[in-house]
Amino acid sequence: MSTLRQLCEIMVPPLKGYPGAIDAAAPEFLDFLISVSPPDRQQMYESGLNRLDAEARQKFGIPFDSVNEDQASQLIKPWLRTWMEDHPPAEPFARFINVAHSDIRTATINSQAWSDADVAAGEEPPGVGLYWYPVEPDVNKKYLPRNEPRPHSEKTQSKLVH
Amino acid sequence: MAAKILTEKGISCLMLNAGPIANVHKDTDVKQAYTLPFRGFKQPGRLPHVFQSNEFNANTWVDEKEVPYTYTSGNPYNWVRVRLFGGRSLFWSRQSFRLSDYELKGKSHDGFGDDWPISLADLAPYYSRVEQIFRVKGDIDHIPQYPDGNFIPDDSPWCGCMQRLRTAGSQRGIPVCKPRSSEGVDGLASSVNLLLPDAFRTGKLQAIPNVVVRELRTNPNTGLVNEAHFVDRLSRREMSVKARVVVLAAGTLESTRLLLNSGLANSSGVMGHYLIDQIYGAGLVCSVPEARNGKTSRELMQGQALIPRFRNINSKAKNFIRGYALNVYSSTHPMDPRAFAAYGKELQDKLDTYSGSGMGMGIMGEVLAHYDHKVSIDKNTVDAWNIPVLHVDTRYTDNEFNMARDAVDTGCELAEAAGFEVLTKNYEPNPPGYSIHELGTCRMGDNPKTSVLNKWCQSNDIKNLFVVDGASFVSGGWQNPTMTILSLSMRASEYLSRQMQQRNL
Repeated sequence: MSTLRQLCEIMVPPLKGYPGAIDAAAPEFLDFLISVSPPDRQQMYESGLNRLDAEARQKFGIPFDSVNEDQASQLIKPWLRTWMEDHPPAEPFARFINVAHSDIRTATINSQAWSDADVAAGEEPPGVGLYWYPVEPDVNKKYLPRNEPRPHSEKTQSKLVH
Repeated sequence: MAAKILTEKGISCLMLNAGPIANVHKDTDVKQAYTLPFRGFKQPGRLPHVFQSNEFNANTWVDEKEVPYTYTSGNPYNWVRVRLFGGRSLFWSRQSFRLSDYELKGKSHDGFGDDWPISLADLAPYYSRVEQIFRVKGDIDHIPQYPDGNFIPDDSPWCGCMQRLRTAGSQRGIPVCKPRSSEGVDGLASSVNLLLPDAFRTGKLQAIPNVVVRELRTNPNTGLVNEAHFVDRLSRREMSVKARVVVLAAGTLESTRLLLNSGLANSSGVMGHYLIDQIYGAGLVCSVPEARNGKTSRELMQGQALIPRFRNINSKAKNFIRGYALNVYSSTHPMDPRAFAAYGKELQDKLDTYSGSGMGMGIMGEVLAHYDHKVSIDKNTVDAWNIPVLHVDTRYTDNEFNMARDAVDTGCELAEAAGFEVLTKNYEPNPPGYSIHELGTCRMGDNPKTSVLNKWCQSNDIKNLFVVDGASFVSGGWQNPTMTILSLSMRASEYLSRQMQQRNL
């Protein structure tokens, strides 16, 4: 978890008045997401974070959660790639670095902290969408956290998205 | 479409829909991602084969656990379905194209596969009427492989970067054209708002939501289909209804699944075979240098284009037959961070510099029809109503992979000739089925020994059975199939009504 937290802090720092991944509680959210995910995502994160930590110890003699920005850059930069939707890098560690970066960014940008910063700046929050309620009976009901309020259908405004 | 045509001809119809009626006002809400349990990420483990799903739209797709399907290990298939009233016509991209005779008579052109039993001339009058209903906007291009239609004129000026791409294209004999899209009405281009209201107005259509058809049965003396057995999705009550004619439009593979489960209409042995879709996912992302550093503008960057098939028209490509189109877009919006190999401040600096300079291209490519690419019934697996599921056995071949590679390389060449910087590219198509344009498996033809349907979408074996969705396709082309499905359905329904009026059915 501390490796993940450090990775979040390094890859998505606060910039230009917007929260970084730490302020957005991205590490906690990702930890939750990974914990309820199927084995492929769990394995990718586990082996990726372990390897990051192992490389930090081997190269700098300290765990990854203690590296500075420059040291982190030496460990991460060689693995950065450009990629397109649905086609992350195939090589497993490159895949981890790039997908984790994307996940951390999404978790940060879709956070309440980011949305608050947008509102303060007079901007439209980016993580807004048209949400479709479940078709009854909801076969996925058991996956909702228990205290999630059930949606009600009295609406005052809705946006047609096509 | 069939409901509209048949009821307008005075024929009483009962429509059985597997899903509920969707109401965008009642069933949706504008929400912030942070209020959702997974901050917009797909709920883990849910809809793994629907790449298009996210936390906002997850409830619109057919759940893979409720209506499962299987595929051959190592050959994944993405079967993307919607069971809301109106189906996928509620959410489609609206790209509206006609097939040309390069697709309809593909075998005559290059020797592969089979020709359709109809040509563009047979379909053209129906295309025109469908284009009118759906209000298709486009330009007249006079390019045989991109047939012109009954369009609302697209008078929009070309933006600067697209103009540069057009110049680069014309130097290479590659046409860069206006896209063609269904405007629809009030922001929706669906059967729900464009076709069904006409049918209901006749008073001759009764539509029942939330009923899943289990099986069709035939009269043992005549061999004609006469009954549909269905189950209420919610109460599980089993029901049946008698019918004079049955028209299937459950969406390509669901129609085939129903016929296979019913054991009907397959004397040719060809039902389930020749499954096709289209390759999507390969493409590239570029930047227009003149639009960087805050210099972007709508005049330079706000645009779209469609590069219709240009391969294998007047010359032969090296290592693939048939062809592909490229969707081209450009935008004044910020760029996708995945186009840059950077993070933190360095990435933010790049995003600031490049914001508003992005353009990209994506492939829509023809997939070849092979007998061996097929679906069958998996008797060991059933859905939530105990109906046996479909097993899909298909894969892409060298033709598809080579075509994707050519599309990306050609796209890069055009982009660089136009003075753009290619930032990232992908040669690999998405898995079969991703396009959501699955076609075939009940293909039409003139020979009942090698086809399931005749040129009127009528079963060769059972005269009062019609299949009017994408299952009748012989080949897929690169074109979004919606216009063709609607035109075939209109044509088949008018034929059917004539047959009923003449008491042949």
